[in-house]
Amino acid sequence: MMVTSLTKSISEISGNRDTNLSNDFFLPKGEQMENIISIKDVFYKYPGSDNYAVNGISLDIKANEWISIVGKNGSGKTTLTRLIDGLEECESGSIEIDGVVTDEDTIWDARKKIGIVFQNPDHQFVGATVEDDVAFGLENQGMPRDEMITAVDRALKMVDMQDFKKRDPQSLSGGQKQRVAIAGVLAIKPQIIIMDESTSMLDPEGRKTVINLIKQLRTEQNLTVISITHDIEETQLSDRIIVLNSGKIVKDTVPADLYNLGPQLIEYGLEEPFTNLVAAGLQDVIDFDGYITEKGLIAKLCELNSKK
Amino acid sequence: MSGLGLADVSCTIESGQFTAIVGKTGSGKSTMVKHINALLKPTSGTITVGDHQITPETDNKNLKPLRKKVGMVFQFPESQLFEDTVEKDIMFGPKNFGFTEAEAKAAAEKMIEVVGLGPEYLKKSPFDLSGGQMRRVAIAGVLASDPETIILDEPTAGLDPVGRKEIMDLFKAQQQKGKTIILITHNMDDVANYADKLMVMHDSRLVGLGTPQEIFNDHELLEKNYISLPQSAIFAEKLADKGFTFSKLPITISELTAEIKEQIHGD
Repeated sequence: MMVTSLTKSISEISGNRDTNLSNDFFLPKGEQMENIISIKDVFYKYPGSDNYAVNGISLDIKANEWISIVGKNGSGKTTLTRLIDGLEECESGSIEIDGVVTDEDTIWDARKKIGIVFQNPDHQFVGATVEDDVAFGLENQGMPRDEMITAVDRALKMVDMQDFKKRDPQSLSGGQKQRVAIAGVLAIKPQIIIMDESTSMLDPEGRKTVINLIKQLRTEQNLTVISITHDIEETQLSDRIIVLNSGKIVKDTVPADLYNLGPQLIEYGLEEPFTNLVAAGLQDVIDFDGYITEKGLIAKLCELNSKK
Repeated sequence: MSGLGLADVSCTIESGQFTAIVGKTGSGKSTMVKHINALLKPTSGTITVGDHQITPETDNKNLKPLRKKVGMVFQFPESQLFEDTVEKDIMFGPKNFGFTEAEAKAAAEKMIEVVGLGPEYLKKSPFDLSGGQMRRVAIAGVLASDPETIILDEPTAGLDPVGRKEIMDLFKAQQQKGKTIILITHNMDDVANYADKLMVMHDSRLVGLGTPQEIFNDHELLEKNYISLPQSAIFAEKLADKGFTFSKLPITISELTAEIKEQIHGD
């Protein structure tokens, strides 16, 4: 009996996979394919500027999705996230956060659901010590003191800064500051985390720690991740890459499709994947067409090396 | 944690060279370069910059001539812009170092072009610019005083790849004009592509000094995890696992592809 039922459930699972391998298969019912953010026809222009920084953007982001937003400096990436967080108000169009259209009255509730980690670590400190700083958001929410101490310790541990909790944030180096800022955001347990180039200041190890942390939190806390980045490696982790140019979405696609664009990636503020550059340098010895994975390139080179 | 920001560091940086400084967050890189223009003074020991000596007793007065010689571009220099026009912001440093109004203006006009922005930017407010443009203005402000040595603390962090390459090329061009460049970075590919010398900091100490080629082939530094490798070297290591042989790890893409071609053709 047991064997039979086991076999049956396996076939059910594989059946499902064959037909429809999408995220909603893994999500509990009721949360399927729900948009956590829905942006409709949004326009925004900075005061005194002639050009629209955000020029007619519509975008749906599903709960638990990991989105990379890429584009050159000045393409509208940061402005778009400031609109999402209500730091700027749309000239026209609407933004829905978790099913509620944001306006003057609803923005405060919406903001509680969004944590932003900014690029410049020096712009985000308020506390005299690291732990005070991380506690700031929790104090605003009126959390009791003993709970707060636990939450702060937990958040600092996640970013591996627990040994620094009595230090003055200003005495830390850039990378350490950024990890504290991330702890401050994590402490309030947001549903959406916006990383505005926030790993660009970290050393390679710090960057890896933070990225792994975000990966883990996304699963554990069902976080939606919006990552503004120029780092091609970081985009590989996302479900979708949105390319902005002059305030418009010019591409909305999966990572591998984007990497196929080759040198055109530079126009989108990204570097070509390293493997593409190596393959381009070897054009006279190997055939090269579009995006090649590292595994694929190594296999190709080994084959040529064994033939010599 | 050690209470020392720097512990027993001795080294010589040659003039006219492009020296990169790498090391983990908190390893003492920024602390070290701040000693070069006396933003920090040593608890013990001496720093000699040209004719200037900096000791624990060095007076805060009379540091201007030294600071004119050693320009410093901090992390996120755009956060230090404050004037109402780009021109005034670039002119601030030169005027502070004794340039006349006309000289400072001329320097601003020249430097705005050097950093890749047109003269039309001079009359704009720095706060109407994008982050990348503000970064360029801040760099122009440091270059405008015509320092002999330029210290750069992660100057390309957060710039897009095109912007990053332009800025790095700009510093290389400054070196070719005779300036000494000291660059703090986490980007090992930039080290491999631009630096003549590489210093490695760890726990407030200087643990390695040599050419990038020497340092990236230093097994002890690699084993102790004091440095990471450029992408080309990492890729070469993977090929080495599959039967390729490298007498020295290639550190740039052109070195890597040249090595691969040689081996495939069996020369």
